[in-house]
Amino acid sequence: MVFRSVRPVPRRPLPHHEDPGLQPERTVMSWGRTGLATAVVALLLIRWYPSVGVVAFVPVAIAVVGVGLIQLSQRRRYRVQVAGINYEKVAADFWAVFWMTVMAVLIAATGIAGVWLF
Amino acid sequence: MESGEDHSAIPKRKRVPRALRGGNDPDPRFTLANERTFLAWIRTSLALLAGGIAVEAFTHDIFDDTARKVLGTTLLVLGGLLAVSAAGRWLRVETAMRQRRSLPIPLWIPLIALVCAVAAVTVLLAIWVTNGF
Repeated sequence: MVFRSVRPVPRRPLPHHEDPGLQPERTVMSWGRTGLATAVVALLLIRWYPSVGVVAFVPVAIAVVGVGLIQLSQRRRYRVQVAGINYEKVAADFWAVFWMTVMAVLIAATGIAGVWLF
Repeated sequence: MESGEDHSAIPKRKRVPRALRGGNDPDPRFTLANERTFLAWIRTSLALLAGGIAVEAFTHDIFDDTARKVLGTTLLVLGGLLAVSAAGRWLRVETAMRQRRSLPIPLWIPLIALVCAVAAVTVLLAIWVTNGF
C-alpha cells in the first residue's frame, strides 16, 4: 500500500473591501455570537437527561449541527458580503434567516415539551 | 476591487420569496444591518428561552409545580414567538427597502416589554412572599 503525503489545500485569501463601517466583519461576528448563544441554550436542554435519557441529546445534536454549519459557512458568508459591498448589491440571506428561526422555535418547543411531559 | 474578474463570489439567488425579488436592490449595507438586527432579536429570543428553562430547573424551592411550569412556559412561548416575529420583521423591512417604502414600526416591542415586566414582578413577589421582606 502506497501512502502519499497529504498536503493541506491552501485556503483562498479573503477578499478586501473599502467599507469603513466594516459591515461584513460585524455581520459575520454577529452570526458567530448568535451561534454560540444557540449552542449554550441548546445545551441547557440536557437538563432533562435524568428523566428521558439519551433522547435529551437529539435536539441538542440538531442545534449543534446547525451551529456547526453556521461556523463552517462563515468564510463563505464573509466572501459573499464583501463582494456585496464591492458590487453595491447583496442578496438577502433568506435561508440562513429561515433556518436560524426554525432552530430557535425548535429549542422553544422542546423546552415546552420538557416542562410539561417530564 | 482587487480581483474584479472573480464573479464566483457574487451572491447567487436561490429560490426566495417573491417579496425579495421585486423592486430594486437596496444598499448592501442596509441589507447587512437588517440581518444583524434580526440576529440581535434572535439572541434576545434565546435569552428568554434560557430564562424559561432556568425557571423550570432552578425554582423548585420558590414556586409550586404549576406556577413554575406556567412561568417557564410563558418565557419559552414568548421566546419562540419573538424568534418568529424577528424573521417576519426581517422580511418586512427587507421588502420595504426593496420597494423604497418607509420601514414598518415593530408593534410587538411594547408587548414583549410588558410581558417581561410582568414576569419579573411575579418572580420578585414570589420570592418576597416565600422568604419574607
